[in-house]
Amino acid sequence: MYYLGLLIEYLKNYMKTRLTYRADFWVEVVSDLLFQATNFIFILVIFMHTDSLGGWNQNEVVFVYGFFMVPFGVFSCFVNMWGFSERYIVKGEMDRILTRPAHNLFQIFLENVDPPSLVGSFIGLIVMAISGSNLGLPFEWWTIPMLIILTLSAVAIYTGIYTTLTSLSFYSDAPTGILPLMYNIQTYGRYPVTIYNRAIQVLLTWIIPFAFVGIYPAALFLHRDEMKGMALLTPVVGAVFLGIGLMAWSYGVKRYKGAGS
Amino acid sequence: MSEQLNGAVASSGGSSGGSGENGRRLLLGAYFDFIRIRFLTMLAYRINYYSGILIYTLNIGVNYFTWKAIYGNGESLGGFTGAQMTTYVAVSWMARAFYFNNLDREISTDIRDGSIAIQFIRPYNYVLVKMMQGLGEGLFRFMMLMIPGMVIAILLFPVQLPTEPSAWIGFLVMLFFSFLISSQINIITGLSAFFVENNEGMMRMKRVIVDLFSGLIVPITLFPGWLSSILKVLPFQAITYLPGSVFTGRVQGVGIWNVLGIQVIWFLVLLVPIVWLYHAARQRLFVQGG
Amino acid sequence: MNAIQVQDLRKTFKVQKNREGLKGAFADLFKRQYSEVTAVKDISFSIPEGEICGYIGENGAGKSTTIKMLTGILVPTAGSLSVGGFVPYAEREKFVQNIGVVFGQRSQLWWDIGVIESFQLLRKVYRVSEQDFKKRLDELVERLELQELLNRPVRKLSLGQRMRCELVAALLHNPSILFLDEPTIGLDIVVKSEIREFLKDMNREHGTTILLTTHDLQDIEALCSRVIMLDDGRIIYDGGLEDLKQRWGTGREVQFQFGTATKLQQLTQWTEGMPVTWTAENELGAKVWIPLELNVSDVLGRVVGQADITDIKIIETNTDDIVRSIYQSGSAEKPEEKIAALLDEKEVIHV
Repeated sequence: MYYLGLLIEYLKNYMKTRLTYRADFWVEVVSDLLFQATNFIFILVIFMHTDSLGGWNQNEVVFVYGFFMVPFGVFSCFVNMWGFSERYIVKGEMDRILTRPAHNLFQIFLENVDPPSLVGSFIGLIVMAISGSNLGLPFEWWTIPMLIILTLSAVAIYTGIYTTLTSLSFYSDAPTGILPLMYNIQTYGRYPVTIYNRAIQVLLTWIIPFAFVGIYPAALFLHRDEMKGMALLTPVVGAVFLGIGLMAWSYGVKRYKGAGS
Repeated sequence: MSEQLNGAVASSGGSSGGSGENGRRLLLGAYFDFIRIRFLTMLAYRINYYSGILIYTLNIGVNYFTWKAIYGNGESLGGFTGAQMTTYVAVSWMARAFYFNNLDREISTDIRDGSIAIQFIRPYNYVLVKMMQGLGEGLFRFMMLMIPGMVIAILLFPVQLPTEPSAWIGFLVMLFFSFLISSQINIITGLSAFFVENNEGMMRMKRVIVDLFSGLIVPITLFPGWLSSILKVLPFQAITYLPGSVFTGRVQGVGIWNVLGIQVIWFLVLLVPIVWLYHAARQRLFVQGG
Repeated sequence: MNAIQVQDLRKTFKVQKNREGLKGAFADLFKRQYSEVTAVKDISFSIPEGEICGYIGENGAGKSTTIKMLTGILVPTAGSLSVGGFVPYAEREKFVQNIGVVFGQRSQLWWDIGVIESFQLLRKVYRVSEQDFKKRLDELVERLELQELLNRPVRKLSLGQRMRCELVAALLHNPSILFLDEPTIGLDIVVKSEIREFLKDMNREHGTTILLTTHDLQDIEALCSRVIMLDDGRIIYDGGLEDLKQRWGTGREVQFQFGTATKLQQLTQWTEGMPVTWTAENELGAKVWIPLELNVSDVLGRVVGQADITDIKIIETNTDDIVRSIYQSGSAEKPEEKIAALLDEKEVIHV
């Protein structure tokens, strides 16, 4: 309850800040949309030259992409760790965080909420609806509940992975270069992983499980039974990776408190 | 890091005060120092280094398999054979390791926290210093990331290295221009922070656009006709697509001079907005107080 | 009861060593070398409730490290500490509810929004009830004259205005202990004295315990009844400010300007039998140095009647000089410990 109250308060403050820079808000929304559009172009270009990508047709791949956008938008809105090392470690704001009576990681999430990212989630839903109806996908009773569960699980996976990586900032090296590279890699989770070789499949499934934020859960809605088991495993993977992330984080904070900046 | 840089700056500041030939030589030395210091700084970040090698290899792998799936049984796409595509993907990602830098982010941070004012009154050219730092970073990645990464890529994937010496020489020269053009675009994006309140969106957009329109993700010829003809008159293809074409042997002989010419032209053209932005920025900084 | 109790507190950092040159940097890529640095070396002190204590020392003496341990940001390597009845690092979230922290060079306020919005948010963070908050805020706002500023975004405030707001932010939840790290740094004299007055009032009315680090010795003179001085991780002085001056204050200096040329020899003769030292500045000016045990008026009495004096200036030793003189003599109490300290810093190589 306390944390929910804080979340609302921080969101209010975000809006107040943003209202003073109205133009920025829209620049960010538009740039997010363009970012999505360029990814879209890639899919369209691919299907200009082939009918199927590892046995998946254009509408299916677009649907997966639509699903991929939903948790990614939610994640980017509430868990935004870009620049953590710069702002909190180098400039020393972590000290301030640690002198406040709320969980430190949660405070950092709150201070960086980014609601424009949610626009991406809405577009993802629209993309899913359009490509889904092109494919004639049935709307089942479980569609909405599953969508919510799988989205939350995917957000947990993102949060786990990025929290783990960000907690590297507590060690002497500055891993600022890793996050952008990860952003490249996560996009691979929205193509059928079966087109990759064994090693990359294992990597994207079990080590940095980005397949669970795109292709696997989306396969459930596409009635692709070969991935059904994987889709249902998403919440488990989410829980495990979120756990790893939180552990890495608290370990990092412990180290920070042991060593200072 | 900034402390180290400041050290170098201080030494250059003292020396360039001396007029004439000697002063100029010392200033030149200071610029080389910027390259050297950034190189050493990069060496200090171990985690970045190791993860960089892994992630670039992974990028090549994923793109390789994606294209393999797209090719299916097809012989050739947009004039690329399967083997050429593999080589193209590998060399494009490795080239990116060299030319990629975060100058845009560094510049806009300097602008937003106000430290640019100090940079501007120092006796050197700020843009040139940034360029040198980018070069130091690029050289580090070239030697420590691109070369070992390329060896790994050759071992893992069926990459065909060019046999013509002209392709090698042409590629390396063009790679340097890729760096120049990519850094110029970064500098333009970074300096724009002077004129918009928040250029975060622009920086993100630039990143995506450069990756997509330079031909890194999709070679230019595979885009729909109208789009690829637009891209041919934009500077982005000069970053990845043109050097990649030379390396894969799709462009040979006199053609190498032509594509190199395109790069040189873009390099010169892009100097115009940089000079203009730089002067406008100075104006803004000193007349309006930032 | 003691607000702060510290026993044998020690903090050791592992510092990465960068080897020199290109070769060294390559070597660092594969194998790192570390050395251990002890920033705080087994210090003990206690601060009773309601005391204002100055914590001083040169940069790198270990002040910030101590403050960070006291506020729960850092975990000590050894020793025990208790602040407001809590062990800071062990129950951080509960503990920080009782303390206020101001880092002079870092803001706790949101840059782009009105000051009042930041306060509202901190109210939620510290779970202060609406009533308490309002009462407290009114009181602080009135005391620090912030009425006009409340709706202005922080980025539009001057440094002095911002610092006053920072103090409010740190005090909204009515902490019993306040930590101030360089609270007056960069401020002008008027604001400095306003802030000092405010802190004194806070201490008097609410019994707030205050521990402050500063380089500005006037802060210490205006505020602190007690001073802890740190050098190289050790406490070299802990006691009253007057006492400090007594022990290390070297004396006072009086400057004379004469109407007619006065010889040094003449001056020395007038003060015959007194342990004073004269120095001539020029024909019409001279300085005399008077040790503490001697009254200034006695010396003046000898000179005033006989010389043609146009101006007299008495220069009191300030705490700056005290600190400097202590530093010059090395560790104040046990100089031999300092050598032992150097031997402590053994080099450790980790793979």
